[in-house]
Amino acid sequence: MIITDILTGALRSGTSVMLASQGELISERAGVINLGMEGSMLAGALGGFAVTVWTGNPWLGTLSGGLCGLIISLIHSFLVLSCGANQLATGLTIMFFGIGVTSFFGRSFVSEQIVGFNPVPIPILSDIPFIGDVLFNHDPLTYLSILLVPVLWYVLFRTRLGVIIRAAGEKEDVLFASGINPLLVRYCAVLAGGFLAGVGGTQLSVAYTHSWVENMTAGRGVVAVALVIFASWRPAMAMVGSYLFGAAQALQLTVQQQGWPISTFFLFMVPYLLTLAALLIVERRKRSSMPEALGNVFSADAGG
Amino acid sequence: MKAGTSLTVMPVRESFLSAGRLRKIGLTITVFLAPFVLYGLFLLCYEVNPIELYWSMLKSTFGSLFGFGEVLLKATPILLTGLAAALPARAGLINVGGEGQLIIGALFATFAAVFFLDSAPSWVGIPLMLVFGALGGAVWAGIVAVLKTAGRMNETISSLLLNYVATHTVSYFVHGILKDPAAFNWPYSPQISWQLRLPTITGTRLHIGFILAILLAAVVWFILSWTKLGFNIRVLGGNKLAAQRTGFRINWMYVWVLLAAGALAGIAGMIEITGIEGRLRSTTGVNYGYLGFLAAWMAWNHPLRLLFTSFLLGMIAVAGNTLEIGSGLPASSVQILMALVLFFLMGIARRLRS
Amino acid sequence: MKKRNTGWSWKTLVAILAIIVTITGCSQSGGSSLNGNSSSSSGESSAIGTGGSAVGFIFVGTKDDYGYNQAAYLGSEAVEEAFPDLKVLRSENVPETAEAERVMEEMINQGAKIIFPTSYGHLDPALNVAARHPDVVFFHQGGLITSDNVGTYFGTIWEPVYLAGVAAGKMSKTGKLGYIVSVPIPQVLLNVNAFTQGARSVNPDATTTVVFTGSWCDPGQQANAANSLIDGGVDVISQHQDCTKTIIETAERRGAMTVGYHADASSLAPEGWIVGSVWNWPDLFVDMTKTAVDGEFKGSIYDGKYRGTLADGVVQLTDFGKNVPEEVQALVEETKQKLLDGTVHPFAGPVKDQAGNIVYEDGYIPTIDELESMDFFVEGVIGTIPQ
Repeated sequence: MIITDILTGALRSGTSVMLASQGELISERAGVINLGMEGSMLAGALGGFAVTVWTGNPWLGTLSGGLCGLIISLIHSFLVLSCGANQLATGLTIMFFGIGVTSFFGRSFVSEQIVGFNPVPIPILSDIPFIGDVLFNHDPLTYLSILLVPVLWYVLFRTRLGVIIRAAGEKEDVLFASGINPLLVRYCAVLAGGFLAGVGGTQLSVAYTHSWVENMTAGRGVVAVALVIFASWRPAMAMVGSYLFGAAQALQLTVQQQGWPISTFFLFMVPYLLTLAALLIVERRKRSSMPEALGNVFSADAGG
Repeated sequence: MKAGTSLTVMPVRESFLSAGRLRKIGLTITVFLAPFVLYGLFLLCYEVNPIELYWSMLKSTFGSLFGFGEVLLKATPILLTGLAAALPARAGLINVGGEGQLIIGALFATFAAVFFLDSAPSWVGIPLMLVFGALGGAVWAGIVAVLKTAGRMNETISSLLLNYVATHTVSYFVHGILKDPAAFNWPYSPQISWQLRLPTITGTRLHIGFILAILLAAVVWFILSWTKLGFNIRVLGGNKLAAQRTGFRINWMYVWVLLAAGALAGIAGMIEITGIEGRLRSTTGVNYGYLGFLAAWMAWNHPLRLLFTSFLLGMIAVAGNTLEIGSGLPASSVQILMALVLFFLMGIARRLRS
Repeated sequence: MKKRNTGWSWKTLVAILAIIVTITGCSQSGGSSLNGNSSSSSGESSAIGTGGSAVGFIFVGTKDDYGYNQAAYLGSEAVEEAFPDLKVLRSENVPETAEAERVMEEMINQGAKIIFPTSYGHLDPALNVAARHPDVVFFHQGGLITSDNVGTYFGTIWEPVYLAGVAAGKMSKTGKLGYIVSVPIPQVLLNVNAFTQGARSVNPDATTTVVFTGSWCDPGQQANAANSLIDGGVDVISQHQDCTKTIIETAERRGAMTVGYHADASSLAPEGWIVGSVWNWPDLFVDMTKTAVDGEFKGSIYDGKYRGTLADGVVQLTDFGKNVPEEVQALVEETKQKLLDGTVHPFAGPVKDQAGNIVYEDGYIPTIDELESMDFFVEGVIGTIPQ
C-alpha cells in the first residue's frame, strides 16, 4: 500500500533528523543556534559506528556517538559563549570541520561490518494492520526517539528545569537575578543538543544503514535546524516536520517504483523545497514565539 | 547585547605602530600560526613530516610559475565566493549560498554558450557569458532575498537549503536539454566553443579570470569604504535599529546586496566554466562556496584582506593534493587545518575588536 | 569599527602582494620541478610511458567501498607487487572536474609516466593533461574517446550481469527483481537491461524495478531504496553503485536475495547471495603497465579502446552462494558457454523497449559502441529514465 510505505519510510528516514532537531530545539530554547549540528551528527555517526565495531555493543556505540556529538558542540559553545564569536558563522565552520574530521578518521571504517540495531517488532501491536507496520516495526533507537518527544515536552513546559532553559533564552537577566548563570544553562543546552544530534547520527549509521560513509548525513543536520524554526520551537511540531522530511524522501522512491513520470531530479529536490515551504508557511507565528535571545542572533552585527 | 557603536565618519587614526596595534598584529600572527602547529602535531601522529609538507607547500607555490598558477587558479573562485559572503555580511546578512549561486551562474553561462553563443566571436561571447553568469547567480540569490524580505525567512538557512536544490537543478539540466549529444549519453554539457574560453598564461593552466576577480574585489572594497552606498551598507550591518530609525529602506538594501553577492558568485561559476572546465557537470565548482565563506570570515569580511585569505586557502587546498599523493592521508584532511585557522580567528574575535 | 583598520591592512596587503610578485618574478618559469624529480630530459626520443619512476592511480571515491573503487585499488596493488621498482602513487576522492588535472600533474611531477584515471568523468581532465605531456601514457577506465597517448579500457560487464540475471530469474519466487542505481548513464542502463534480458530468458514474466538514488554512494538513500523495493514485493536486489555494502546488508537482514556487482561481497550476505559480476583488473593492469614500461604502448591492443570480455577473463562471475541449487548453477554454466562460443548474445534482436518498439531488429547483434551508448530500457523494466 502506497500510504503505508510512505509513512513507514517517513519514520525510517526521519528519525535521525528528528533526534537532531529535538536537540537543536533545546539549544535554541536557551538562546543558542547551532548550525554545526551537521558536524555533530556526522561525529555521532562515525563515533557510534566505530565503538560498535570495536565493542560489538550497539548501545555502547549509541552512548559514544552521543558523546562525540557533544564534543563537537562543545567547540561551538566555547567559541560562541565564551569567546563571543558569531553564532551562525561558527556553526558553519563546525559543520565544515565535522565533515573534514569524520572523513579523515572514518576512512578505515568504510568496509567494516557491525552487529547493529535491527528492527524489533513489538509483539501484538505490530500485527495491527496499517499502523502496526508504520509504528511498531522499527529499531530501538527509533522507539526511543518517539518517546523522547513527550518527555522533552514535559521537561520543557512542566518542570523547573524547563523554565530555567527557556528563561535563558527569553529573560536571561531575570534568570541571572535569581542566582542562576544563564551562560552555564546555555552551555548545558548546547551540549545536550550535540548529544542528541550525535545519537541521531548513530541511528543513521548503526541502526538504519549499518554502514559508515563520509558525509553520509547529506544535509540532515541543516534540515534539522530549519525544522526547529518551522516547529516554532515546539517538540511535537519538530517531530511532525522531521517525519514530513522523511516522507518526502520516501515519496521520491514510491513515485519511481510506481512508474509515475515525474522527473527524478525534481523529486530529489522535494525534501529541501518542502522544508523551505514549511518555513514560509509558519512564518507569521514565528516572530512571536522565537526565544528572544535568538532574535538577537539573527539581527546581530555580522561583520566580524 | 551589543554595546552602542558610535558612527564616526572620519575616524581618528592611531599612529601606525602604536603599542595597541603591535599587540594586535602579534596576536593575529600567533593565531594564524597556532593552527599550523596543531595540524603539524596531528600530522606527526601519522608519520608525516609537517615541516616538509609546509615547505613543499611554499616551494610549489612560490618556486615555479606553474605552482603559483595552480594556487591562483584555486584562489580565484574562492575570492569571488568569498566576496559573495563578505559583502552581505557587512550589511548584516549571512549568505552561505555561494555554493548554489556559483553553479547556477555556471548553468546560465553554459546555457548561453551552448544555445546562443557558439559561433559568437570572443569579444562578444565572453562578456555576454559573464553577464549570464552574473544573472544566474543573482537570480539564485534573489530567491533568498525574496524569502527574506517578503517571507521574513532567515537567509542563512534558506541559502543553505537552496545549495542542495541547486545541485539537483543542474543535474536536471545536464541530464536533459543540456546533455552533450556527442557524449554517448553521459550527463554533462557539450564543450563550449573554443573562442569562448578565457585566455591562459603560458606555462600554467591559469586563466585571466584571476585578474577579473582581483578587480572585482577592489571594486567591492572601493564601494564599501569610499562611497555613500558602502557607508550605508556598513551602517546597516553595524546597527540595524539605528539604520531603521535613520530611515534606510532596509529591505531594498538587503535585496540589492544579495543580488550583487549572487552575481559575484555567478561570475565565479562562469569563470570556472570558461577558464578551466569547459563544460558543465553537476559537480562543477563543488565546495568553493563553503571555502569562500571561510575565507571571508577569516578576513573579517574585508575585501582586501580577502585577497590574502583566499590565496592562503588556495595554497592549503593545493597542498592537500600533494599531501595525499605523498603520504596517503586523504586530501580532505586539510579541511581540518582550514577550520582550525578559522576557529582560532573566531576565538580571538572579541579581543581584536576592542 | 572596521574602518579604523582599513589603512593598516591595505598597506600591509600591498606589501605582501609586492613581495609575492617579486619572488615569483625571480623564480624559474616553465619548469615545474618540485622535488627535483623532473621528467626525463634525455635527448633521444624514448617510447612514451618509459623512463618513469612511478605509476599513478586516481580514484573517484574511497578504496574501501566494496565496489568500484575497491576493484580498481586491487588492480593498483597488483601493479605494486609486480613492479617493485615503480612507486605507486594514489589519490582517492578525486572529483571529476578540472581538479583531477592538478592531481595528475602532481603525479607526473613526482615521476609518473603511466597514469590510470579510473573513473569515467576523469576522461576530459586526462585528455587535457595528456596533451601537455605527450611522453606519459594514460590508461582511462571506461572512456569512449582516445588520443595518441590516452588509451581506454573497460570490460563487457554486461555478459556476467546477463548470466546473473539468468540466475536471479530462476531463484526469484515473486518474479520481481530490483535494481538500485544512481544516475541514468549508458553503463547503468546497459546493466539493468542485460540483467532483465537474462531473467526474462528463463522467466518471461519477470520484471526489474529500477530506483534511481541520484548518488553513487549514499547509505541513507540506499537503505531507503532497498527497504522500499522489498516492501513492494521484490525478492532479488542488485545494484549499480560505487559502494555496495549497505544495500546487500539491508537485503540480507530482510530476507531478500542479493546479486552482487563490482566486488565479491558474499561474506556480507551468507544466506542470500546468489552470484555477482566482478572485474579482474589486477591481471589487466599488470599487463597494461608492462606494455607501457616495455615501450610497446603504441600499436598495442591498449592503444585505443580496449574492451576485455568474459572470454578474456577481464570480467568474471563470482562463486555462487551456498543456497543456490545445483540445477541453477548448471544452467548458468551452460548459458555461459553459449555466450563464449557466440550462440547466445544478451541483446540479439528482436529487442523491444518499454513502449514495445523494436530497437534491435530480429537477428541483429548490436556493436559494443552501440551498447555503450544505450539510452533506453528494455521491456520488463519498471521505471522511467529521468529526463
